[in-house]
Amino acid sequence: MKVITGIPVLDDVIEEIPEGKILTYWIDPEVEGNVFAMQTLFTNLERGCKCAYTTIAYSPEVAIGEFNEFGWDVENYENFSIVDLYSGYVGLPSNCQYNASPTDIEEVNEVMKKVIENFDVVVIPVSSVIDVCGEDSIECIGEWYDFAREKESRLICTFVSWPYPEEIEKFVKNNSNAVIRVGGVHHRVILGYYYGVVKVDWKNIKSKAILFKLVKPGGVRAYIPKILVTGPYNAGKSTFVHAVSMRAISVDRLGTTVALDHGHLEYKGFSIDLFGTPGQERFDPILKMLGREALGVILVVDSTKPETFPRAKQMLEAVAHFGLPYVVAANKQDLPDALPPEEIRKKMFLPEDVPIIPVSAKEGDGVYKVIDALLELLTGSWWVKENEPEVST
Amino acid sequence: MSLRSQLEDILKEMKSTGDVEASAIVSRDGLLIAADISSSVNADAFAAMSATMLGAAETAMSELGKGTPDRVVVESPSGKIVAMGAGEKALLVVMTTPKANLGLILLQLGKASKKIEELLG
Ligand SMILES: Nc1nc2c(ncn2[C@@H]2O[C@H](COP(=O)(O)OP(=O)(O)OP(=O)(O)O)[C@@H](O)[C@H]2O)c(=O)[nH]1
Ligand SMILES: [Mg+2]
Repeated sequence: MKVITGIPVLDDVIEEIPEGKILTYWIDPEVEGNVFAMQTLFTNLERGCKCAYTTIAYSPEVAIGEFNEFGWDVENYENFSIVDLYSGYVGLPSNCQYNASPTDIEEVNEVMKKVIENFDVVVIPVSSVIDVCGEDSIECIGEWYDFAREKESRLICTFVSWPYPEEIEKFVKNNSNAVIRVGGVHHRVILGYYYGVVKVDWKNIKSKAILFKLVKPGGVRAYIPKILVTGPYNAGKSTFVHAVSMRAISVDRLGTTVALDHGHLEYKGFSIDLFGTPGQERFDPILKMLGREALGVILVVDSTKPETFPRAKQMLEAVAHFGLPYVVAANKQDLPDALPPEEIRKKMFLPEDVPIIPVSAKEGDGVYKVIDALLELLTGSWWVKENEPEVST
Repeated sequence: MSLRSQLEDILKEMKSTGDVEASAIVSRDGLLIAADISSSVNADAFAAMSATMLGAAETAMSELGKGTPDRVVVESPSGKIVAMGAGEKALLVVMTTPKANLGLILLQLGKASKKIEELLG
């Protein structure tokens, strides 16, 4: 059975975690990164894989509680097991089928190997094992890596990057077929969180940092803090923001936007904030302000009003610095005299590769196609193909 | 007396307090209705941004479940801006010197805004 990461954007490119591969989430200490491993586990559990989750620093009950917090009812799946390395450590009896006391590393080794042999996906908190069992346990961990390769299981490891000896870090990195970095965006305080592909040895890619948010319930969502929705007066920007958002507000007065629209959207693993601008020229100072730090632009035009297209382009120029992805929402397609997208492309002299999506924001038709098109442009730019490795002859 | 000159009279009266440097009656969507502003100020931008300011403040407050604000006061070392609703359709905004007595200004502004509301409905 195909095993995937269950992490948004990542799966689009990695496609699957092949048999016998070891994937390590490399986590900055201040980031709640364990949820990545939990999400990978639960995604595959739901798909019918046999999954095991190892706890060593806290009890199985606490672990299940953490899953539940994200809405993942692991305890209701027959193909789920906890490997309890905790209870024995604190001198409690374990009620898990798979358990061992970390004070006896041989016992741990034996149990882990049994688990690796019997499960499709095994989550191991590698750095916690080192914390509890000491540096020497790295040899055991090395055996598990090898055993997983031999038995064609998949290990999902977490490694919280406290300042461990360099040899340990190297060992873990070199033994992992894939390393996904989970970190914080710093500016004196943590401003946000990101993840990115450091390496994947079965694919030729690297990624730029992908911002994320944790949603409870829900888990890891790729976070897009600002999509700008702009366009001429009365084009339907506010209507569009409301049509795609789960919740939205507009500062409208007498039928026109005087400050902004804001909408929030959870969609296909993404958490997106949309900012709609005013359209009337007297509010252009606001347009520039809202445009700052936007990751993408949706340009809404009224397809029945070609006379407003020059203004649309001027607004785009004001906000879209070089390389900022944008799509055009050809709105009001429900009206009889709406121009088709290709006509609009001609009239606006837009490049062939700019998506122009026919929509009716009022009816809600096509609005998510606009989001899809923009996400495709956005996430496309997040991946860098590595140079093809030189083939030695 | 025309509506316009009645509105302008209201603004003139406010100016007589001394510390008011500029004032304007603006439609809620940011268009200038009447103004007493020196030509060095871009009156249209001032009007539009007043509507933005008051509109955003009103939404921010009502989103927090705190109802409608009475006014927005913006202060800087070189002066103050105070904007206040004047009925459903309009708002009143003044720019003052930095040392203007805010209590006095607010009192005047309140009276003026009522008059404007009566005139514009
Ligand atoms: N027929 C039709 N009318 C639409 C559509 N989308 C919006 N409208 C109408 O167009 C008018 C303007 O819509 P808004 O969403 O306020 O437009 P806007 O671009 O936000 O306008 P400003 O903020 O004033 O620039 C409203 O009367 C909407 O009902 C559409 O898809 N079809
Ligand atoms: Mg609008």
